[in-house]
Amino acid sequence: MPDITVAAAAVAAAESVVSLPDAELIRGASAGLAEAREELARRYRGPAYVLALQLLGNREDALDVVQEAMLRLFATLGRLTPGRAVRPWLLAIVRNQARDLWRRQRVRRTEPIDGTGEGLAAELIARAPDPEEAAGREELRRRVWRALSRLSEDHREIVVLRDFHGLSYEEIAHVLDIKIGTVMSRLHAARRQLRARLSEDGRHA
Amino acid sequence: MPEACGRRFDEALLSGFVDGVLTQADEQRVRVHVEDCAVCRREVEEMSRLKEVTMSSHFRMPADDQWSEAPRGGTSRLAFGVGWLLIAVWLVGVTAFGLWQFWTSGGPILGKLMAVAFPSGIALLLLSVLIDRLRAMRTDRYRRVQK
Repeated sequence: MPDITVAAAAVAAAESVVSLPDAELIRGASAGLAEAREELARRYRGPAYVLALQLLGNREDALDVVQEAMLRLFATLGRLTPGRAVRPWLLAIVRNQARDLWRRQRVRRTEPIDGTGEGLAAELIARAPDPEEAAGREELRRRVWRALSRLSEDHREIVVLRDFHGLSYEEIAHVLDIKIGTVMSRLHAARRQLRARLSEDGRHA
Repeated sequence: MPEACGRRFDEALLSGFVDGVLTQADEQRVRVHVEDCAVCRREVEEMSRLKEVTMSSHFRMPADDQWSEAPRGGTSRLAFGVGWLLIAVWLVGVTAFGLWQFWTSGGPILGKLMAVAFPSGIALLLLSVLIDRLRAMRTDRYRRVQK
């Protein structure tokens, strides 16, 4: 259990919690300091939400998962070994929560799950400076995310973790709870599957 | 991917090459092969392009007021749970004691039943409404949408 007075002093000494490094915030959050918890949540809820959205395909479920994941993060901060990054730890929680939600929904859902990827593609925003270039590029981007949505869960999550969230192979192995040697082969299979889906789309377009 | 391309290494190394995570020896082996093999070169180029497209995507984020309230800590959650438990125990205890007192006091049974029927009916109706509300609250997918 972290010393609450040391953690509180570090938080109080900083002009703003925004400038504190993760390690200090983790110490403060583990000691139950609300400012540290709020800053950690503010810092990492974005990537957590986007991963949940990419895995589940809709905003409402993604927000639910992020809320649960944040609570779980604060409950398990004590198990985060010093020096270990918060983001992969949180993404692992989000991934597990998303999987749980999928399983629960598969059991009790009466409406079909959106297997087209349209829900996820609709959440994309364009940021290219040139509008003409943007149009073609955004169409490709939409096609890629629609195709990603139609991959199996195993394939979708590994591509998203590597190519969007930029996790290292070691971090991916931790998040997915697989051997590091499996990461490259699974990632390659997923990328080939993605290419195949895009080719199918091209033929049907 | 046709095996006829003459590649003498595990195909998955192509992904490792795209990600720049191979050992120097493997990286050199793949690079030499890719320079000579048009099929593998196309695969590497296509994977790199898809990776770049994926990496440069941006998603709409929830508005500030859509994030949940400040995260509740473990102590707060424990207090919340214990608080509800104590209220429930108190309610059940007081109700059971009251009913026992009422039943063991003197008077005709028919009169007691008449006296209990109306408030019991009202209580059951309220309970059914409460259960429906709680169920709707838990399953309503649009509960965060501002009306």
